[in-house]
Amino acid sequence: MSAPVITVRGLTMGFGDHVVMRDLNFDIHAGEVFVILGGSGCGKSTLLKHMVGLYKPMAGRITVAGMAMDPDDDGAYRRILARIGVMYQGGALFSSMTLGENVALPITEYSGLRGRAVDDLVRLKLRQVGLEGFEHHLPEELSGGMRKRAAIARALALNPEILFLDEPSAGLDPISSAGLDALILRLNRTLGTTFVVVTHELSSILTIASRVVMLDAASKSIIAQGDPHELKEKSAHPFVRQFFNRQPGMEE
Amino acid sequence: MKNTADLDISIGSDALTLTLRGALNLQSVPEILDRLEHVPRPLPQRIRVDLGGVTRMDDCGALVIMELRRMAGASGGELEMERTPDHVRELLDFLRLDSPPEPGPIRRIRPDLLTRFGEKTMHVVDQAASHVAFVGETTTTLASLLVRPGRLRLGDTVSYMQRVGVDALPIVGLISFLLGLIMAFMSAVQLQQFGANIYVASLVALAMVRELGPIMTAIIVAGRSGSAFAAEIGTMKVSEEVDALITMGFKPAMFLVAPKVIASVLVVPLLTVFSNLFAIAGGLVIGVGTLNLTLNAYMAQTMSTLSIFDINWGIFKSAVFALLISTVGCFKGYRVRGGAASVGQATTSAVVTSIFLVILTDSILAVILRYWRP
Repeated sequence: MSAPVITVRGLTMGFGDHVVMRDLNFDIHAGEVFVILGGSGCGKSTLLKHMVGLYKPMAGRITVAGMAMDPDDDGAYRRILARIGVMYQGGALFSSMTLGENVALPITEYSGLRGRAVDDLVRLKLRQVGLEGFEHHLPEELSGGMRKRAAIARALALNPEILFLDEPSAGLDPISSAGLDALILRLNRTLGTTFVVVTHELSSILTIASRVVMLDAASKSIIAQGDPHELKEKSAHPFVRQFFNRQPGMEE
Repeated sequence: MKNTADLDISIGSDALTLTLRGALNLQSVPEILDRLEHVPRPLPQRIRVDLGGVTRMDDCGALVIMELRRMAGASGGELEMERTPDHVRELLDFLRLDSPPEPGPIRRIRPDLLTRFGEKTMHVVDQAASHVAFVGETTTTLASLLVRPGRLRLGDTVSYMQRVGVDALPIVGLISFLLGLIMAFMSAVQLQQFGANIYVASLVALAMVRELGPIMTAIIVAGRSGSAFAAEIGTMKVSEEVDALITMGFKPAMFLVAPKVIASVLVVPLLTVFSNLFAIAGGLVIGVGTLNLTLNAYMAQTMSTLSIFDINWGIFKSAVFALLISTVGCFKGYRVRGGAASVGQATTSAVVTSIFLVILTDSILAVILRYWRP
């Protein structure tokens, strides 16, 4: 297996006195589609925000692309940011810019492309998420699912090595959602892009994930790790079984 | 991972032959496009590209193909692709490059002057109409509260009274105190020449109570609370909270506007009273400290200058100002459409409009007073 692109060692995260997760350890390898699972509110998005340097760990270390994640070290942090793309849960499109301008922003800032090439590339990006023809629309004029897809196009803009997606398929219709899965797998296969995805969609997990971690709010730790199909079949943990097999809750 | 690409260009008499090798991606493509731009024109009719050496290609690489197709199209021919690797073919199929995206800038197209003029006019008309509707709704809501006062959300109202009134007291007090101090200080220089020191007290008291007290308080409240109302309601609009209120059967005017308006109308006059007091105290410090007036003489002069009508008039004015500021703030918040930028505009607009309306109303009231008062 290839070298890890993200390592998480002894990560404890929380806010103030409130600990969300304690002593997390896992690696994400290059070319994986790594899915973070867990019940609502267990800290999946928080974990994602730690991995992209928006939150500081209470304890522990994270390395991304071989560099220690330290937002205070401006130079190193910028080098990491150049290699990652992030899509946020709500899309986080800039409301004062059109879709086209949203996608064009990173391209014009960080690539050598200019003029017509930028316009063409933006249209190709929007085409990949099924939003061609909407480049002149403002985010407010679109539905939630469309905003989400536009946000994915923006995260893809520079074809980063590592893409973090926070609930990419929530709010999408099944067809768009399947299209998104296909896009993820395609990018993963052809460009070797590593994906770190937070999602709940069972069908999506089984289609795209090469490995999953499952967080549990009660024990504040990882309760399962590995291939999703194996976990579905073999895991003995009641919560994992419940999650994958959609069994009604078991009384404890 | 090899991140570079090579491009060989050979121009024959009948054909332009290009050979691409390596990885076509965001790092290598800008330079290739640059070189294609500098191929001498006119181009021969046939353009051939050999893709056999392309090891990797992403959607940026597709830009090169698009550009080559354009070049071929411009000289009336078609691009001939040779030795196309499977992964390239697959990518081009995936991107449906046979029907290239429509050309043209993705920047927002700025409409022409006439269109913008028309849009602006429609906007003003639309705004005027919704302003009337808003004033009507607010008035009926406030009127209905007179009949059934129990419907007012008392907790919210008290909380806004604190935010608009109590929390503003330190800044209103400080500014007014300094204002009184400055007025006394500046006028003292002039009045001292005539031995009219005692009239410093009259000047400070009359100017503050009749005009500056209500105006200064209104300006501070507009900046502190009018803007906050607009931002609060505007953000609620953006995050669909106002929609949620409506579908839960609450009237936004009752839920959001009435507590803010009533709280403001109640506490701003009180703030004005404090503003007057602090300004008189400021004048007093100068009067007693540097003009050799006694405390008693200063206060007696102040009391004899002011009539109860002056004080009431100032308080009445500041209640009117409070009504204006709070409704304008809420109205601007209501007009928010879209996102963060719109909230910012609404906040600015709330403050500017409130201050303008306050000054305008003050002028009108001054004229009315001039002819009405015996």
